[in-house]
Amino acid sequence: MSARAAFVLLFTVAAFALMAVCPSARAQRPAATGAAYLVIVHPGVGIQSLDRKSLEDVFLKRITSWSDGQIIHPADLAPDSPVRRAFTRDVLNRSVEAVKGYWQQRIFSGRDVPPPEFPHDEDVVQYVEHHEGGIGYVSGGAHVGGCRVVAVQ
Amino acid sequence: MRRRDGAGCVVATLLAAAAFSFERPAHALDLGSEDSMASVEVHAFASQGFILSKDNNYLSADTTHGSFQFSELGVNLTKKLTDRFRVGLQLFAQDLGPTGNYNVRADWFYLDYRFTNWLGVRAGRVKIPFGLYNESVDIDSARAAVLLPQSIYPEEDRNYLLAQTGGEVYGFANLRKAGGLDYSLYGGTIFVDTTQPAGSTEQITSFNVPYVAGGRLLWETPLDGLRVGGSVQALRLDASILAGATAPSSPTTPATVSVQIPVKLWVASAEYTAGDLVLSAEYSRWYVSDETSNSAIFPSTPAITSERAYAMATYRAAPWLQPCVYYSVMFPDTTQRDGRQNVQHDVSTTLRFDLNSFWLLKLEGHYMFGTAGVDPSLNGGLPLASLAPAWGVLLVKTTAYF
Repeated sequence: MSARAAFVLLFTVAAFALMAVCPSARAQRPAATGAAYLVIVHPGVGIQSLDRKSLEDVFLKRITSWSDGQIIHPADLAPDSPVRRAFTRDVLNRSVEAVKGYWQQRIFSGRDVPPPEFPHDEDVVQYVEHHEGGIGYVSGGAHVGGCRVVAVQ
Repeated sequence: MRRRDGAGCVVATLLAAAAFSFERPAHALDLGSEDSMASVEVHAFASQGFILSKDNNYLSADTTHGSFQFSELGVNLTKKLTDRFRVGLQLFAQDLGPTGNYNVRADWFYLDYRFTNWLGVRAGRVKIPFGLYNESVDIDSARAAVLLPQSIYPEEDRNYLLAQTGGEVYGFANLRKAGGLDYSLYGGTIFVDTTQPAGSTEQITSFNVPYVAGGRLLWETPLDGLRVGGSVQALRLDASILAGATAPSSPTTPATVSVQIPVKLWVASAEYTAGDLVLSAEYSRWYVSDETSNSAIFPSTPAITSERAYAMATYRAAPWLQPCVYYSVMFPDTTQRDGRQNVQHDVSTTLRFDLNSFWLLKLEGHYMFGTAGVDPSLNGGLPLASLAPAWGVLLVKTTAYF
């Protein structure tokens, strides 16, 4: 069997596996998590809403500046936070452990370092308040101080 | 089995430290607050592995009796000078069979300026973006498998594939409903230490890589979690060889031969991530030829095309458990596919255990068919056609990292 034939065969098998797994994976995702967490930004960030894909790009640091050129300063909650787990699963479409693996790749290949992590909502609020271009997420009932809540589409 | 030297003891010490620090969460070591000029982010890892193979030695000498010559150490520092400007350095030492021997080297170092989302530049010694995982070949904590599929990420070609010294232009373009494009272009050179093969009558008097250039384009498709793309790379190896220089009874006068070896590689890649499941597959062809100034002494060989491919699946069954399976195949010469020496099939299964957030253990088994991926020098110089065609490898590896 040539490598090309083996590749096509394996990719076909993988595609079938994917179709089998995909619906259940989707079903396990939380529904729209308006109550689970709030996405907050520094009051100087000129956006009212963000689509989920853009939010993913921000927290994986694929994009590093807002449309007006301002540098983005994302902030994460600690990995063991249930809010972090919900946000990561819902927005980044993967587990916290998978995101950790992503950052291991980025760190040790010299590409980038992950956003700072904070143990409590109020720490995230404080960080976002004090960094122009700041963005973070906190639990649904958290006090957001001077930050602005943006809608996730 | 070789006795551990000082660096091996460092590996053991770091791993022991990880073992006795169960509850401490893993973080970067930050020297100074994030916004202060004194702030430097520090990360490190240490790995110790064990290789046991059946019938054929693999990656290291005497693996048929078990070998601990499978160690890695790395420490990196990253400093954000401004919001757009970063510098970084990683020191790396490895011992894998005949390579590494704990010689500490700069794995990468760079100056990185990000102008916009779609344009950034890096200069220094930077990892080569080739395929999905080339940049993380030596990052055990970033993946489930101990060995990435060796058809496309061969350990023995690490010197030529991992990093280049020069420049890189990169960026990310948000295509909105059409997804996003992650791209990079690079060019520079590769510095390679050459060693004289034992018993050789030919002496390499100079060796350099006049250029390496390439690029990668990855499309984050609108289908959530699916990215596809391609990478290309071209380089040339130039060598001057003094033929007959070390043969005391050679009847001929030593002669210098110039050899040029142009190499071209491309790989097509696809990866799908859905929650805890990651599926990936890559297909690649590498083209190698050589041109010599004196074909009577050092004959030119016809251009050779090798074919490589793999498909891999990983699934995080629990926060502490991640199984991985893959099938990898490599034909070193597409015109000769028959015979054990002309193919390497590799079926691999791994269990990764995350013992805590900065310490992991992996168990991995390989069923191999063919000997094209075997180094004859690790097997008594025997021809590949005479080695066992069906063989196996067991790997155990533990890594501490933060």
